[in-house]
Amino acid sequence: MPRHRDCYGVIMKKKSIVEFSFLFPALALFILFVLYPFIEGIPISFTNWDGLSDNVKYVGFRNYVRMFSDRHFVNATSNTLIFMVIEVVFSNLLGLFFALLIAKPSRSNNIIRTMIFTPFCLSLLLSAYVWKYIYSDFFYGVLGIPSPLGDKKWVMAGLANIAVWRDAGYCMVVYIAAIQGISKEYYEVGDIEGCNIIQRFRYITLPMIGPAITANVTLLLSWGMKVFDYPMAATSGGPGRSSETVAMLIYGNLFTYFKAGYGQAIAIVFTISIFLLSFIVSYNLRKREVEL
Amino acid sequence: MMKSRGKNVGKFFHTILKWLIGIICISPMYVAIIYSLKSKQELAVNRFALPEVLYWENFSQGIVQSNFFNALKNSFITTSLATIILTVICSMASYIIARKNNSKFYNSVYFIFVAAMIIPFQSILTPLYINLLRWGLVNSLIGFVLAKSGFQVAFTVLIITGFVKSIPRELEEAANIDGAGLYRTYWQIIFPLMKPVIFTSVVLNALNIWNDFQISVTILQKQSVRTLPLTQYFFFGENNSELGLAFAVFVLSMIPVLTLYLSLQKYIISGITSGAVKG
Repeated sequence: MPRHRDCYGVIMKKKSIVEFSFLFPALALFILFVLYPFIEGIPISFTNWDGLSDNVKYVGFRNYVRMFSDRHFVNATSNTLIFMVIEVVFSNLLGLFFALLIAKPSRSNNIIRTMIFTPFCLSLLLSAYVWKYIYSDFFYGVLGIPSPLGDKKWVMAGLANIAVWRDAGYCMVVYIAAIQGISKEYYEVGDIEGCNIIQRFRYITLPMIGPAITANVTLLLSWGMKVFDYPMAATSGGPGRSSETVAMLIYGNLFTYFKAGYGQAIAIVFTISIFLLSFIVSYNLRKREVEL
Repeated sequence: MMKSRGKNVGKFFHTILKWLIGIICISPMYVAIIYSLKSKQELAVNRFALPEVLYWENFSQGIVQSNFFNALKNSFITTSLATIILTVICSMASYIIARKNNSKFYNSVYFIFVAAMIIPFQSILTPLYINLLRWGLVNSLIGFVLAKSGFQVAFTVLIITGFVKSIPRELEEAANIDGAGLYRTYWQIIFPLMKPVIFTSVVLNALNIWNDFQISVTILQKQSVRTLPLTQYFFFGENNSELGLAFAVFVLSMIPVLTLYLSLQKYIISGITSGAVKG
């Protein structure tokens, strides 16, 4: 009897090793290239390390205190937030509007959907370059509107517009799926009750696509906060540092300004902020899904 | 009678509006294409009209000067390698996570993956760069493939796990009774059933890796290992005045992505919508 039990134990152990071997490669890659560097980053953020030398000194919370009076950090934060808000609001509004226009499945609507979604497949870099010339050659050259990318006040809006062009198609695709999932009976009841087109939208469509709104807003919020490629390609952070984003500032602290320790502290505050912001926004949107 | 005419007018405007939006959305591509086909002289006088003469030299010169085929090769190698790695290891991981959903350990791993989706690359940039430097993986295509794959693991596991949960367990149980091991059961029975979600994850990952700039600009700094986006970045920096040339390189690098998109559109769309509904 005890022998039998031993045998069973060995088999179970072997089974769980085999099972773990399914997870192991993915987990190892994730730990090695994401989790481990993330944890390593925490002690670095408490040092004055320049990223090159062996000369490292612990400075306590000095990096964390310093960033809040650093005007470059404040500037990068406000640039990032402006970009994120414009990107989230307009990509979603336009995406929803496009979805309402072409939600009905038909040949022509499929072609238009393909057209609107195409920019999303291009790299962010390419989008930034093409728009740079649309601003300077078409907006300025043909319409006489100066390129927003050359104006300190408008540069973030100009960059966000490129993101909206690229991401509105993404939002649209999600909204189309949500709208097509609404049962026709709701609209039939609406027709009997004599709903007009605005009431139909407000009382049937909008409440039913709540989860899609939550998903899109939360995702675009994190894309917007992480913005890096557009300003790198289209403005290099200029004019001056008026389009430098937080992601660029962290990159610059490692490769250009040689303040890796300080950059890492910014990176950690940045990560926590994105976590908190995503959590608060998705929590509140989810709560509203029920109320609508 | 009046009402139906009003309806027709409305429908007419609706049609015009939606086509107009579609055309506006792809019009920037028109700019890229006509710029790439004009000589420097023609660009100076005529920017937006169709080119009078098709100036193909932009393409031939752009290919040579930007070392285009080398970049294409690098992009192709890294994208296919990372996509294959991700598909194999993440589909296996997703399978076991979905099946062991009463195990604390597997559930916590899944939860960590979900949370890691939000981590910005910048938070691991410095330590990762230092590690790669130490391991001799900076300026190496393998280094980029491993780092990029590591970063995409969470997202890939997330889309595949949702799908595996919908595959009934009875099939595997039958195989188990027949004495097939876990590996055989997986590759012979489960993996073939996962085809639609595998397609989706392959396409979404391939697009993402092909277009990557943030991670590659950190790891791949030498010219010989640059991928297409990096080549565009540096080539454009050096050829700001040679617009036709720069745009020819852009148009060339758009072709593979657009081909992928137009031929596998179905999988991209279904992937996005299934991912979003769960998110």
